Amino acid sequence: MLEPSATPKLELRNITKWYGPEGTGVLAVDDCSVSVQKGEFVCVVGPSGCGKSTLMTVGAGLEEATHGEILIDGKPAGKPGPRRSVVFQKFALFPSETVAQNIKFGLQMTNVPRDEQERRVQQQLEIMGLTQFRDSYPSQLSGGMQQRVAIARALAMQPEILLMDEPFGALDAQTRTILQEEVQRLSHQMHYTVLFITHSVEEAVYLSDRVIVMSRRPGRIKKEIQLPRDVAWKRGDIEQAAEHPEFIEARREIWALVREEIMAA
Amino acid sequence: MAVNASPSPILSRPLAYGATSLGILALAWVLATSVLGWVGPEVLPSPLAVIARFANLIVEPFAGAALFGHVLASLERWSYGVFFAIVLGVPFGIFFAWVPWFRAVVNPVFETLRYIPPFAWVPIAILWFGASTATQAMVVFIAAFPACVINAQLGVQHVDNILVQAARVFGADQLNTLRRVVVPVATPSIFTGIRIAISNGWMALVGAELVVGKTGLGFLIAQGQQNDSVSTIFVGIIAIGVLGVLIDLCVQRLERRLMPWQLP
Repeated sequence: MLEPSATPKLELRNITKWYGPEGTGVLAVDDCSVSVQKGEFVCVVGPSGCGKSTLMTVGAGLEEATHGEILIDGKPAGKPGPRRSVVFQKFALFPSETVAQNIKFGLQMTNVPRDEQERRVQQQLEIMGLTQFRDSYPSQLSGGMQQRVAIARALAMQPEILLMDEPFGALDAQTRTILQEEVQRLSHQMHYTVLFITHSVEEAVYLSDRVIVMSRRPGRIKKEIQLPRDVAWKRGDIEQAAEHPEFIEARREIWALVREEIMAA
Repeated sequence: MAVNASPSPILSRPLAYGATSLGILALAWVLATSVLGWVGPEVLPSPLAVIARFANLIVEPFAGAALFGHVLASLERWSYGVFFAIVLGVPFGIFFAWVPWFRAVVNPVFETLRYIPPFAWVPIAILWFGASTATQAMVVFIAAFPACVINAQLGVQHVDNILVQAARVFGADQLNTLRRVVVPVATPSIFTGIRIAISNGWMALVGAELVVGKTGLGFLIAQGQQNDSVSTIFVGIIAIGVLGVLIDLCVQRLERRLMPWQLP
């Protein structure tokens, strides 16, 4: 299904990002290129503060890169829009709107027909197990439930690309495991194109087809590791997967790379 | 109906405390005046004397109108002033926070005007509008406007930028971002501003009425002083306080209704 030569669905090409004036400000990301093929799940891992979230913000079009460009299907991506949906680490749900209204928000903003809006909201509520929380406000939900709403809100847009910025970073360990498995299941069923930022090596190995390791700040691409795709161990739960030799080997390799960066910092 | 069936225990407890403290105050008042006679009626009339005067003022005109007439006159001016302060001040404050260049341009002027006490405007208001409703309404407006602006501005500035980013990601333009995300999230702060504006306006109004006008609670108090009627002054003062509290309670109730999402 993947042809390396094909035009990537999403391409971050030679991205450099300075905060403050170039040369004297803070260099967050230095000449990073990341490409994600259609239907591919790519994880970016790296030590804290390495600029991986910056890469995502720029990739979503929320901030301008100082140099470099963002391409979708080989063309400039432009402003943020319905082609790219984002799941934020801190959920970023709209507090004054109910679960259903949150999910519907983007559909209304992009003028999806009314009955189609309803249909998609209903569908996402069911997929994410939120039906009974339809009319709850975010403040009434646990962190895990809130992140489900955020994922539902992103998926309801039927985006071409899903950007996830450490989406499980703010959750407790149990909730995180459950959501990792659900995202795994969804991406196997739906073949989403995902760029996923995380600091968890296990998460990256379990979820992704390819892992990109970033260096400490200023963030550069240190190495890309291709992982086995469509293998049985990835479809089960994460504990089982973690016992598979391929998982262990990949985790060891990636951990060694990340550790180098942490120790050198 | 049943008080203890109230769905919100947070409400009933302060109410109980409030009733207790008011009760103690009333008791002290009775003791000091009627029972122990520490202070004479020309300094502090007894509660009974004030109640009698209150009943009297309700039916009998004093200083041009019965008590209700003065209350209405005050409320009318106050509502004009507060209405315009809210309707202009809140959008102004939102715009202030949302558009940096606008803030940069207008802020110095606004900050300077803000430190001029409302009463300093009374003479010019009289010159412009005469001794009319507009004069007092203008003083109310000047007292109420800054609180609306500043709190709306703070509310908008404190909205987490990630929410604005999320709105953009999901295709919202500036107007929709404000309407669906920023303004609702800023609403608690906006309401704080409105409550401050309301009480500032109320206090400024009574002050203005002491100086200018032929009706209103402030005027009633001034006339009480002219006629050496301490009990009239006290009726006026208590009416001002009670009305202020009632207005504030109405706003709080409206606030809860508008923001169901704020409750845990």
